[in-house]
Amino acid sequence: MRRQGGAPQGLLTALAAVLLTVIVAAPFLFIALQAIFPKIGAGSLAAPFSAMADVLSAGRLPRATLNTLIMGVGTVIVSALIAVPLAAIRALYRLPGAALWDVIFLVPFMIPPYIATLSWVMTGQPRGYLEQLTGQNIAGLLFSVPGIVIILALHCFPVVYFALSRSFAAIGGRFADVSRVFGAGPLRAFLRVTLPLALPGLAASLILVFAMAIEEYGTPAVLGTRIGFRVLVTGIDEAIGDWPVDLPGASTLALVLVAMATAAYLAQRRLLARGGFETTGSRPLQADRRPLGRATLPALLLFGAVALVSTGIPLLAVLATALAKTISGGLAPENLGLQNFTAVLATSTTARSALLTSLGLGLVAALLTGLLGAFAAFVVLRTRARGRFYVDLLAALPNAAPGVVVALGMILLWNQPWWPITPYNTLSILVLAYVLLLLPQPVRYTTAALQQIAPSLDAAARVSGASELTMARRILLPLIGPHLLVAMLLVFVVAARELVASLLILPVGHQTIATFIWRQFDQGSVGLGMAMAFVTICLTTLLPLVVLIAARRTEDIG
Amino acid sequence: MKKLLLATVALSTGLCAQAAFADITVYSAGPASLIEKLSTGFTAETGIKVDVFQATTGKVMARLEAEAANPVADVVISASWGTATSMAADGKLLAYTSPNAEMVPDFLKTDYAVAQGISALAIAWNPTSGLPKPTDWADLTTAEYKDMVTLPDPTKSGSMFELVSALDGVIGAQIFDALAANGAIVAGANADALNPVLQGAKGAVFGAVDYISMAAAAKGETVEVIFPTSGAVVAPRPAMILQSSAQPEEAKQFIDYMLSEEGQAMVAATFLMPARTDIEAKRPRINELTLLDFDAEAAYGARAETLDAFAKSFGN
Repeated sequence: MRRQGGAPQGLLTALAAVLLTVIVAAPFLFIALQAIFPKIGAGSLAAPFSAMADVLSAGRLPRATLNTLIMGVGTVIVSALIAVPLAAIRALYRLPGAALWDVIFLVPFMIPPYIATLSWVMTGQPRGYLEQLTGQNIAGLLFSVPGIVIILALHCFPVVYFALSRSFAAIGGRFADVSRVFGAGPLRAFLRVTLPLALPGLAASLILVFAMAIEEYGTPAVLGTRIGFRVLVTGIDEAIGDWPVDLPGASTLALVLVAMATAAYLAQRRLLARGGFETTGSRPLQADRRPLGRATLPALLLFGAVALVSTGIPLLAVLATALAKTISGGLAPENLGLQNFTAVLATSTTARSALLTSLGLGLVAALLTGLLGAFAAFVVLRTRARGRFYVDLLAALPNAAPGVVVALGMILLWNQPWWPITPYNTLSILVLAYVLLLLPQPVRYTTAALQQIAPSLDAAARVSGASELTMARRILLPLIGPHLLVAMLLVFVVAARELVASLLILPVGHQTIATFIWRQFDQGSVGLGMAMAFVTICLTTLLPLVVLIAARRTEDIG
Repeated sequence: MKKLLLATVALSTGLCAQAAFADITVYSAGPASLIEKLSTGFTAETGIKVDVFQATTGKVMARLEAEAANPVADVVISASWGTATSMAADGKLLAYTSPNAEMVPDFLKTDYAVAQGISALAIAWNPTSGLPKPTDWADLTTAEYKDMVTLPDPTKSGSMFELVSALDGVIGAQIFDALAANGAIVAGANADALNPVLQGAKGAVFGAVDYISMAAAAKGETVEVIFPTSGAVVAPRPAMILQSSAQPEEAKQFIDYMLSEEGQAMVAATFLMPARTDIEAKRPRINELTLLDFDAEAAYGARAETLDAFAKSFGN
């Protein structure tokens, strides 16, 4: 009983608070300061708020904000239109190959939207692959706001599909049956019972889609600039990335984007806290699924069509471009060859080092984010020190941090002349950015795991004379380990393909997978970029499958 | 657990330390393959390592500006001569005349900058587009080219900026209004503008950087570079040493290597015009081209206005 109580707990809490202040809070603080005091970079607090006034009067801010909202809300609507019918069929009926469809619908989520967008451009523009095959092109739709929204929705809808098919299954299995006993038809039972009961879960997943859509960079950057559709993210990118640089303007746009992301996060948390019926009680009942009967074929056609548009076409276009010897040669068989894959995997040192850099960065980011997230969750749930509320708040703050904002914060914080040493312009700035961006994943997973471990185990360990740290290491860590592993794999996958923050703070002499692909389109060889994209998609799709298997195991533990 | 922590710490310190070993840092506008070859060749000859940041001129300049308080680069190569003029005027450049610059004509060198190579801005046209072969800039504003033209974005492409300021001065900015009215699109950096033309989605690039299109054609793409009859614009690519460079001697050696016969042959291999007149070019040289006559100094002073007017023409 030597070290029970105050001192170590206080120490741990203080350590967590300091770490999170430096990694999470400081970048946000510097963005706010830069937005308010435009001359702070020169060490002056002159003319506060003047940059905000400039941005407002130029009309850039309201337009970019409105466009961001249009993109976010549009993506939510289209995602819901795609996902709700699919989830209902998947959850309430006996769909042939149900488990296979689940795996297939994981893939669009694993194709980064910038790659999907570029492959749709190659497919849909005049004389693109679609016109070469069918004589038709879809340029009018592609280069439009609905086009942007549809491409984003095809990436985001799995979030809604997976959340909803789970809650539909739970509800449909119990309550809808009751209503049908009382004489309601299947459609009426769905509309009056199942759907309303699933609404909180649906709303929460749609808000998540909104948050994903408003922070997306690649799609509006490729399609939006062609039609003069500028959003907050591309506005920030231009203000930081193109000469002349406008840091105060970028900071002001960033504050608006953070406000939108925060609102979405808080709304989602409230909805989930209220709890839907799907979160209480046991697992979905498998036995109650009804046969589809004559609707089997149409249902399969619907699933197939969504899979084709969301996964098949983008993947085929990526592959076709990667295999093409020349772009103007088109889809002709004699134009196909493996030269781009040879370059990516063997001859191009830049491509290979980009692959290795991204994989290494993903690994380091996953380990550090996992450790920090688990530590923060432990402090919040298992200590009684006063600072834990502050730790809780800081650990939630990255939920409101889109990649472009994180990059801006990193530049403003770490590129100051008065730092004796700084991670800026080294690979560690990217690690810091990824940790900040992805911290919510391990926090969420370990919090859930810790809540399931009875505090009596802690007490038992301490009664037996174990210190706080020994207890954490010998009791808690093995129990939360599998959950933490899942979170770290997620961090790895997302960090290894992150685009916009990497583009903006890439250290001299390095490339990541995403910046390599992006630059090939910007000023290099499209085929080489697509070969790299194909390799990346294979990597980021296979690894989540590992995550999935790991997740199955943790469910059994929990 | 301890091992994991140790490994992580070791990895992260390794990451931090990496930057310290590089000897000189070069920021360069495209093409990426050229600066990669130059660095590899330079390291092979001198043993000095080179760290490269390669991006569009707009991004290179933005990075220099953002790092003004903590300069990192030793050598900068941009695609727009005006960047050298304005940086020299701001006192940011180190004066140096390379002994290898003897064969570089006077208009391609100053006390502070020397050309690496020269590109020309022209029209890139897809012969399979079924559209009439354009001969001059204005041909791309005709009804036949409605919705079929792309332009590189002058905020990103340094050489495109030179063309925009030249045309503003010679013909007037109304040519861009006419292009916009004819459905032309502004499509990112140079390769971004060329790709739709290669696939055939568009017919021609207005302001194509000639060497990129020539290299594409040499690879087997169907694209043809057309130098407009009223005149093309050349964009010499200045190489400069920053005043803030911590290794000015090594930086000077890099400039020497870039202007050596070996370095200039690498420049020529990318279909750029080499800066030295005694190195063979794989393409027409300046004296074989008709050039637009304009006052580069005056055009450059008005960068912000030029870009604003261009953006307005295209409704942004």
